Amino acid sequence: MMHRDHFQKMAKKLCSIFFLIAWVCAMPAAEPETSVIQIITSGQQPVWDAPWRFEAVQQGSGTGFLIKGKKIITNAHVVSWARQILVKRYQDPRLYLAKVQFIGHDCDLAILEVDDGSFYDGLEPLTVGKLPHVRSTVVTYGYPAGGEQISYTRGVVSRIEMKAYVHSGNRSFLSVQTDAAINPGNSGGPVIQDGLVVGVAFQGAVGLENTGFFIPPPVIEHFLKDVEDGTYKGFPQAGIRLVPLQNPAYRRKLKLPDNGVGARIDSLLPIPTSREVLKEEDVLLRVGDFEVGSDASVLYEGNRVSAAVAFHTVQHGQSIPVEVWRQGQKLKVSLPLFVYDKDRAMGNQHDVLPRYFVYGGLVFTPLSLDYMRSTGRNWSETGAGDLTYELFYRRYESPETARTEPVVLAATLANPVNANFSTQRRALVDKVNGVRIDKLEDLIAAFDSAKDVGQHLIEFLPNDSIEAIDRVEADRANAEILKTYNIVRDRRL
Amino acid sequence: MNKFFVLWFALTFMVPTGRTADKARGKSLEQSIVLLDIKRKNYDYFQPWTTPMQNLQKFGVVVNDKEILTTAEGLADRTLLRLQKEGRGKWYMGEVFWIDYHANLALVRPADDSFWKGMRSVELAHPIDPAAPMQVLRWRAGKLETRRAEFNQFTVEDAKLSYAQYLQMEVNSEITGAGWGEALIADGKVVGLVNSQNGDSCKAIPSSFIHEILEARKKGSYRGLGFFDFVWQQAENPSTLRYLNLEGEQRGVIVIEVPKERLAEDTVKPRDIILEIDGFDIDTTGDYRDPDYGHLLLENLATRKKWAGDEVRMKVWRNGKLMNIKYRIPKADYASRLVPDAAYDAPPEYFLMGGLVFQPLSNAYLRSWGPDWRRRAPFRLYYYNNLPQTKERPSLVVLSQVLPDAFNLGYQEYRFLAVDKANGVKVSKLDDLRQALEKPVDGFHILELMEGDSLRRMVLDAGELEKATQRVLSRYGIEKDHVVASK
Repeated sequence: MMHRDHFQKMAKKLCSIFFLIAWVCAMPAAEPETSVIQIITSGQQPVWDAPWRFEAVQQGSGTGFLIKGKKIITNAHVVSWARQILVKRYQDPRLYLAKVQFIGHDCDLAILEVDDGSFYDGLEPLTVGKLPHVRSTVVTYGYPAGGEQISYTRGVVSRIEMKAYVHSGNRSFLSVQTDAAINPGNSGGPVIQDGLVVGVAFQGAVGLENTGFFIPPPVIEHFLKDVEDGTYKGFPQAGIRLVPLQNPAYRRKLKLPDNGVGARIDSLLPIPTSREVLKEEDVLLRVGDFEVGSDASVLYEGNRVSAAVAFHTVQHGQSIPVEVWRQGQKLKVSLPLFVYDKDRAMGNQHDVLPRYFVYGGLVFTPLSLDYMRSTGRNWSETGAGDLTYELFYRRYESPETARTEPVVLAATLANPVNANFSTQRRALVDKVNGVRIDKLEDLIAAFDSAKDVGQHLIEFLPNDSIEAIDRVEADRANAEILKTYNIVRDRRL
Repeated sequence: MNKFFVLWFALTFMVPTGRTADKARGKSLEQSIVLLDIKRKNYDYFQPWTTPMQNLQKFGVVVNDKEILTTAEGLADRTLLRLQKEGRGKWYMGEVFWIDYHANLALVRPADDSFWKGMRSVELAHPIDPAAPMQVLRWRAGKLETRRAEFNQFTVEDAKLSYAQYLQMEVNSEITGAGWGEALIADGKVVGLVNSQNGDSCKAIPSSFIHEILEARKKGSYRGLGFFDFVWQQAENPSTLRYLNLEGEQRGVIVIEVPKERLAEDTVKPRDIILEIDGFDIDTTGDYRDPDYGHLLLENLATRKKWAGDEVRMKVWRNGKLMNIKYRIPKADYASRLVPDAAYDAPPEYFLMGGLVFQPLSNAYLRSWGPDWRRRAPFRLYYYNNLPQTKERPSLVVLSQVLPDAFNLGYQEYRFLAVDKANGVKVSKLDDLRQALEKPVDGFHILELMEGDSLRRMVLDAGELEKATQRVLSRYGIEKDHVVASK
């Protein structure tokens, strides 16, 4: 399945643009294909600038495989926004209804289950193996788009490193690159080596030939461990910007030997638990079992990868032992790690319908990457600059002025009551009736509580432009506007 | 019969007479249109120490007494200016004796007075009669190219080389590649200088605007163009005017933003409704009715027969009352913005320190990313355009690139980062940086970069700096380690 569009800013940082895929491959001995499942979905995404509406239903397909516990593993992007999920067994004409049991949008993995117990009859679960070695051979299994028969491809493990997972758009995890042929449309299929699952095929790279990526066992195992208690929390984050510390002068200033060990914490996200333990200018020497190199990497099973991988060895709420160099001394600290979700709106959102409020034909919704993308392909160009800054930068550059959930006037549904508005869309709401809008609920309360004003006043950023709407007329027009534009409810919170 | 005879006579008489007049006029205009040949430094802001050259040709028209009027564009950073009359023959050395980049106008003269032999000046029309047939004139391959132009409209918009807004005349013409000072002629008079073209639509600086400037210049009263330093919004939403308690009919525009470091003295305030400027009623779209050119944007009233420092009288509605304001027009100044618009007649500034290259953040630098620089330039640098200039931070310095050397090992990939401080001292100009580097901290230079999506801090060896800088200069073939404007 081709990934649609994704956060351009992120894409700029990557050397290449990725697309989500699925693939299928040639196979070896124990016939794992009998445990490979074809997945057929009907999905429907919301319209982000008309959040009560949905796009047309789209058919999708992907691949999954059975592991122990009657769990079907696939990619999160295969089943995101699905209205219906159908699964088919190998060489079996029957369709079975499946549902999502767990979904991890950050790591692009999901577990499906089938209510009809007969689905599992005769199926042998596959076992998840270890991280494969580079240069070793792997075989992928799957159902490329448009094909009814399982397909196999063979390739070698080209390299192993941290990669951006485009399903979320703003998370990176361990990822394995292979030169096995990639065919869009079969995400979620197993990558097999010596009869064991060594990966889940999930994305490819536009512009690069013979390049496909799969999610390796450490990420799969982390996901499976996470859901053991019945809920999926996600991968924790330390919230640090770790930068290389290779300049000899910098190392001398910090009184560190020039031995290739230690990377510098350049800045910290506003995560209180991390800030209590770590400080800017700390040099990270060791995380868990891994020594941190001066290029901000660790040696992970023979592969030099970004040190962020070390933080992915623990679960949400657990602590990891960390060794830092601070003011000329080595310190051993325990860093508690948690899932960070304050940047959710900065990535692709899935399965949770957008929040909105409609008043007097004015459609308000939280600012998000998904909303920005709905404003057109070139959303990151001029005009959207202020929204881009608000969404991606303010929280880090000026946390004291940042809002929990910036709200935008997303659209204006034409009606005489708003017919003369100069500001119609793509405007960040600063205040309503003098009240600063920190989140959508504030905006609703600001309208609701002003019972005696002649006009509601809406102030926008960054230029402080204003628009007033007559309260009595707007109150009166609300029902008619909702009816005209087929909006069942004036809000979704 | 008699009637027929008279009519026949009139027609036969008139046609040849008209042709003769056109021919004579065309002939005389050949003596007024001048070809300018310019060699100029076309600086590369990505390599500010290099001076690539550019050769360009444009046009001027003889006005007044021995003055050649042209646009300012392309004249900056020139190393040579030559003039040619009648589209062929001898080249005369020329000099620019007056230039105004904001107005995009310049006056040029030949070094040798013999140039003027056979030349004649053309009058600048003021006001302009848009109904008169117009032609665009320029020299092309030794012949005077005359293209018909059809008046379209008067508009008020950003000047070609400035954020100051003034009157522009839009005409349609089949001419191609225009925009280089071609004279727009009507009834034998100059009605404009073409300064841009998009498709078959040409924008010309109208003669009436030029006339006012040249007259003021002669009298010594021209103080440069001014502009309104506040931001307003249209007042087409009657509810908003009701909210602001405006009495009477719907009119005026609403002031929404006034710079914190305000430039004008007795200025407007946010939520003021501007009802009238210099006696002209302002409508809800921000237009006034100009006695000469019809409906025009109110910004024109900052440049219509007014210069920087002049006063305009405004009637504003403030807090439910009518107020009279005397607004002194601030001067358009390239340096009055956090990211200055442009720098003319000066090489790009830079400061090279052990391979780290620092440059002032300017629009000229951002435009190095090409015509769609707004999309291609690094977002965080581009976005500084949206931020106000403050006393604490009047301008910005950018670490634009790192020329790799052992000294800067580990930093070779960093670039496009705005600088906050050097050795604890705030950096707004390259000179601040230069001075800060004179005081290292415990033998190190500490650079702090602005919050953004990349590195915050760099440390360099102060003792090694001088040697490293010399090494980099020699290895990368750079003559000077800095070009820094004095304060």
